[in-house]
Amino acid sequence: MNLARVFTKTAITTPERKQEADADFVIVRQVQAGDVAAFDRLIHKYRERVFGVIYNLTSNREDASDLAQETFIKAFQAINRFQGNCSFFTWLYKIAVNSSLSHLRKNRMRSFFSLEKINEEGGSAEVIDKLTDRRGADRDTYLRELQEKLNEAMQKLSIPHRTVITLFEIDGLSHAEIAEIMGCSEGTVRSRLHYAKQFLQGELGQYIRS
Amino acid sequence: MPMLPPDKKAPVSVEDLLRLKAAERPSAEFWSQFERELRQKQLTALVQKRRWWHELPVVLSRRVYLPAGAAAIVAFTLVTVRYSGSGQLAQVENTAPRIVAADPAVESLPATEVSLASRSHEAAEISAASARARVEHDNLAPLAVAISTGDMTEAVGLLPMPVSRGSESPSARSIAANLAHLEQAEPDLMNTVMGSRLSPARVMVTTAGLEMDEAADSAPTKYRLIARYADHSLTPEPVAPALVRERIARRLGDDITERISRVGVEGSRVSLKF
Repeated sequence: MNLARVFTKTAITTPERKQEADADFVIVRQVQAGDVAAFDRLIHKYRERVFGVIYNLTSNREDASDLAQETFIKAFQAINRFQGNCSFFTWLYKIAVNSSLSHLRKNRMRSFFSLEKINEEGGSAEVIDKLTDRRGADRDTYLRELQEKLNEAMQKLSIPHRTVITLFEIDGLSHAEIAEIMGCSEGTVRSRLHYAKQFLQGELGQYIRS
Repeated sequence: MPMLPPDKKAPVSVEDLLRLKAAERPSAEFWSQFERELRQKQLTALVQKRRWWHELPVVLSRRVYLPAGAAAIVAFTLVTVRYSGSGQLAQVENTAPRIVAADPAVESLPATEVSLASRSHEAAEISAASARARVEHDNLAPLAVAISTGDMTEAVGLLPMPVSRGSESPSARSIAANLAHLEQAEPDLMNTVMGSRLSPARVMVTTAGLEMDEAADSAPTKYRLIARYADHSLTPEPVAPALVRERIARRLGDDITERISRVGVEGSRVSLKF
């Protein structure tokens, strides 16, 4: 398999990402050759990230679940069209974002938020400690309130701005990857990101200290 | 709403808050249900036949739109040519060869041109019918004038005559048969009635490859009679024979005698018998 041709146009910046993309492409080739079970490995690998980006865009757990499933089904049905011009991860994200945007446009007037519990492992516990020293039920109530405020502020953003800040700040994609997924320039991504941050600072001012 | 602790000193940014969003993760039960539903949908997608429009992006991505577009253009051209060809069929009347039929009995009438389509039999029939209609129209105008002036001799001569056997109507055949019978029974009377109009017959029907003799062969009985009279060089104004004049005089005398016998005069009264 000639991987030298692959990912020539992609926005992969780090060696880890490139290594990951190469491994994904090998699995994709297996699926394209008829090994349907190989696709399960891709599902297990990316289901949380796909669900996460959709959940942060829709702020609804059930919608995010349905859209994530739909994303994997679409990817499975179109796997033969994937030629390796970009990483499988970017391609999958593109499907997920487009499905979410389509869903949001269709249900613009509907806003039922359902929140997931914050996993207090890793960096999030440190942030929570910065925000409050409360313990027990008070701490949970405080975090719940903070989640609601975050969701409200995110939903006040326009769909493109929300998408940019979700992909950059929450999912950790680069500007180039976001530009490729959203089909716009990196300058547009930076501009939207700047505006979205300013807006969130205004909305969440009472929680932010410098 | 719970207030933020006042003794907090560590800075908190928007990025820190958004990191909390990334920490929102569903439970293990959610993922087991997610996988079950996804498996079911995947199997459904495998079984379900995809619609043709779902395959369009695949087809377009293979860059076959150029040959497909060329094929569409060729198909459109063929359809256009086909329809324009059928449209030209209606115009064949103007380009068809012509039949010229001159009525032998009516020299004053203009020669009639009948278009006959060589490419289409239908067009030829339509053209011939229109020409016949023109002939009849042209013939009927002087006929009406003759009838109004009371010149029945001229009116009979102006009767429209069929061009060919194919266009001969039953009434025309009946008239021809009556004329033939009348000619045999009363040749002198026929000569009197038709005399001024029996000029040398001339039937000229020209088509592409159709000669005069063939037209004469196919002419109706009346034309054959006319042609025969033409060979005899009939006089234009013949004198009625003595026998006819005698018959007419006798009939007029009897009529006058009968009318007089019905009138009676008695003294101061006059009676009439009916």
